[in-house]
Amino acid sequence: MRVPRRRTLLLAGVATAVAIIVTLLTTGLGKDPSVIASPLVGRVAPNFTLPQLDGPPVTLARLRGQVVVINFWASWCTECQVEQAALDRTWQQFQDSGVVVVGVNFEDSTGAARGYVRTESVTYPVVEDSGSQTALAYGLRGVPETFVVNQSGRIVNRVIGPVDAAALASEINSMLRARAQ
Amino acid sequence: MNAAGTLRRARAGLPGLLVLIALAASVATLVIVAAGGHPPASQAQQVQQIAAGLHCPICKDLSVADSPAPLAQQMRQEIAQKLRAGESADQIRAGFVAAYGDSVLMSPPRRGVTGAVYYLPLLVLAAGLITAFMVLRRWLRAPRPDPPGAGSPPLSATQRRAVAKAVARLREEEPG
Repeated sequence: MRVPRRRTLLLAGVATAVAIIVTLLTTGLGKDPSVIASPLVGRVAPNFTLPQLDGPPVTLARLRGQVVVINFWASWCTECQVEQAALDRTWQQFQDSGVVVVGVNFEDSTGAARGYVRTESVTYPVVEDSGSQTALAYGLRGVPETFVVNQSGRIVNRVIGPVDAAALASEINSMLRARAQ
Repeated sequence: MNAAGTLRRARAGLPGLLVLIALAASVATLVIVAAGGHPPASQAQQVQQIAAGLHCPICKDLSVADSPAPLAQQMRQEIAQKLRAGESADQIRAGFVAAYGDSVLMSPPRRGVTGAVYYLPLLVLAAGLITAFMVLRRWLRAPRPDPPGAGSPPLSATQRRAVAKAVARLREEEPG
């Protein structure tokens, strides 16, 4: 009777090992390393003080108490043009409700950034991250990337690629409602 | 005890003393080299070492040290800046991990699912060896069929008669 039992255990062991390997392969290979969840989500957003293209410097810490949408972009980035209208709409819709949209220009020249702001009619504040130190602090992997910061200064979401205006509005509304309650 | 005897004894002990001195010198050299280690790396070398251990976040399979991307250049500058500010290599790496996660490391730490990737092949190898050992042991212990003609030698006519007699006697002795 011992031999069949041992054989059963052996088969169970082999089956478990195969199941683990298959699970690891299917879950691991399906992941795109470029969309790995940011470890910053849920943490306090790294502070920055950056010069604005047209206006006074912007300090994130001074915006505490408001919802802040931080959008990293560049004039050479075609996907940034895709989301431009959505960001502008968000700014127009929520700027009087305690929401700030900040565009952070990444790896760009001041001239190109100004040209983009003019031609695309960007209305929200745009700052320059000329040393990319803010981009590195936010773990940026490319543009566009958008971070949503709640009233407590914590990052609640990170969007890789163009933002969706409706999804962003819904997220902002829920944060504003939670604050009001 | 005369002078000649003393000199003879001293000469006899000289090779041993020389060996002892040579051994002591070797040990002292080893200790000095081990304690001194390598000469301290220059800051550029330190930047290179740290950058070689970090993934360029916007490249495919390139380290920060090897990537020509502007972001990788900025990372190298930031590493140099932090070294100048007195941060250790571990602190600098931890700073990048805080922003990018473990995936920014060229050799992610061996824990969680990543740990399984390191240890699973060893486990599978061990399981394979155990299985092979068990199969081999069973194979060696299993009784083997006798080759044709390798059984007991056939009985002679006398032996057959003796066996028949013994069987008949046993049957007679059986009650009923």
